Amino acid sequence: MYDAVFTERLQKPAVALVNTGFALDARSAASGKGMPGVRVVAETVPCECTEPERIARGVHAVIDDIVAALTVPLTRDEQSPPPPETAGARGIVFDGDLAEVQRFFYQRGWTDGLPIIPPTEAAVEEMLTGTDLPRDCLVGRMIPRLGKVTVEKIAINAVMAGALPIYMPLLIAGVEALLDPKSAFGTFEVSTGSWAPFWVVNGPIREQLHVNGGQGALSPGDIANATIGRAMGLIVKNLGGARKGLEDMGVQGNPGKYTMVTAENEEAIASWEPLHVQHGFQHEDSCVTVSFPNTYLQIWPYGSDDKGILRAIMSNMVPRWRQLTLLVPPGHAQTLADAGWTKGEIASYLYEYARVPAYRTPEFWGTPGMQRVRPPLNAEDPTPLLRSPDTMRVVVSGGAGAFMGMAYGAGTWVTKPVTLPSQWERLVRKYRSLVPNHLRY
Amino acid sequence: MGGSYEVMSPWAEVDPRPLEGINPRLADLRGRRIGLFHNGKVAAKPITDAVEAELRARYDDITIARFGRTANLEVAETSDRARYEEWVKEVDAVIHAVGD
Repeated sequence: MYDAVFTERLQKPAVALVNTGFALDARSAASGKGMPGVRVVAETVPCECTEPERIARGVHAVIDDIVAALTVPLTRDEQSPPPPETAGARGIVFDGDLAEVQRFFYQRGWTDGLPIIPPTEAAVEEMLTGTDLPRDCLVGRMIPRLGKVTVEKIAINAVMAGALPIYMPLLIAGVEALLDPKSAFGTFEVSTGSWAPFWVVNGPIREQLHVNGGQGALSPGDIANATIGRAMGLIVKNLGGARKGLEDMGVQGNPGKYTMVTAENEEAIASWEPLHVQHGFQHEDSCVTVSFPNTYLQIWPYGSDDKGILRAIMSNMVPRWRQLTLLVPPGHAQTLADAGWTKGEIASYLYEYARVPAYRTPEFWGTPGMQRVRPPLNAEDPTPLLRSPDTMRVVVSGGAGAFMGMAYGAGTWVTKPVTLPSQWERLVRKYRSLVPNHLRY
Repeated sequence: MGGSYEVMSPWAEVDPRPLEGINPRLADLRGRRIGLFHNGKVAAKPITDAVEAELRARYDDITIARFGRTANLEVAETSDRARYEEWVKEVDAVIHAVGD
């Protein structure tokens, strides 16, 4: 849709053909680019269709509309669009009791479906104690709506998520990671592939925030893991304007979009470089890394030694995906390290030996968008499952037990440093004791 | 439920900017040079094939020009931008196939 806007800016009439299920998405995309009147023809060709006859039927059904879109004179609104609705983005927007606030926010489409903490002035003020940045500091503009991501708006969404003020520096770094073009966030946040932002926290801040990287790190129950990811999800929705079914066109959706946060157990294997060090930072830096998996698989090793662990990983790698974050619990990490494996060697080894017959890959079947420059000639030709060793990262995470996690996605990893406020130690002391004290039974 | 909450908006402000209108349409497609753009998605190029067939069946004097991308990226943000700008100069209108 952005290309049609670009064409109109080049002074030529354009029309975009989109599947009928994407018509609202197309409208939002055009409006986000400042040209809401770009003409759209909704067709019924199945998405990603590969059958010429069905495509021909679908196009035939709308050819009159296509011709009309290029020839029917403009309406007044198309010539000179009315100004967009701007109400509801500033200051106090509602006053009511708890149930009324929940209803109001839900009906505005501002929640993730779960109840929110009411973002009152006082609560937002408290959240802002987590940063030295002024509340009107502009961190960036987030697509698709190009919403202004100010520190205050981050704080408001963080309050709603139930986050603590001490998370603010990490949330700001998280926004910076999303806004980095290398993250390809603009594609992943709205894609039919339902890619979920996966956050890995490294450095001293892990302990200070109590980000769980141990037992069940990706399960509910830790306020940091739960609310950091949730806050980022609300930021994407309310500041970027990526709303499910309107702009976020994930077909199946992804539970990881509620929250998917872990911390790396950097201390488990001293000889292995933590993720942020692999990405050029120092051990003592606090960092957050985002990537976009859409699939999460948990596997059991075929033996307790390094060979059994690697065999299980190789056997469970699947064709098509372009990026793999392997979550290795500390026990297996120790086994691998004791056998002399480094993170880089594991990736290189799997790149070299993790292969399947060509017929199991989409490339062999000529799937559009999945071609290789030199595709395999024979159905049985061994074909690598990683595009390169650099398309895989090993992260030590998880607790006691044997299961490993494989987060498959696309794109790359983007790591940003977390900038701490001047009163950081005081903040850490203030929230340090906030941990669950479970009853024994 | 008791208590009252004055709550702040989580919805982002956007920069005030004038919205742009679209370009005047063509009077007719007869004798025109129509650009067909596909963005690299699976169905996009076959859709442009079907559009071309339909247009040629209707207008025997129409000219078709094509521009395709292999990656589903915004063309203005890629190294193809200059080539695309030159291509657009040579056509009277563009039909964009998105593929979904």
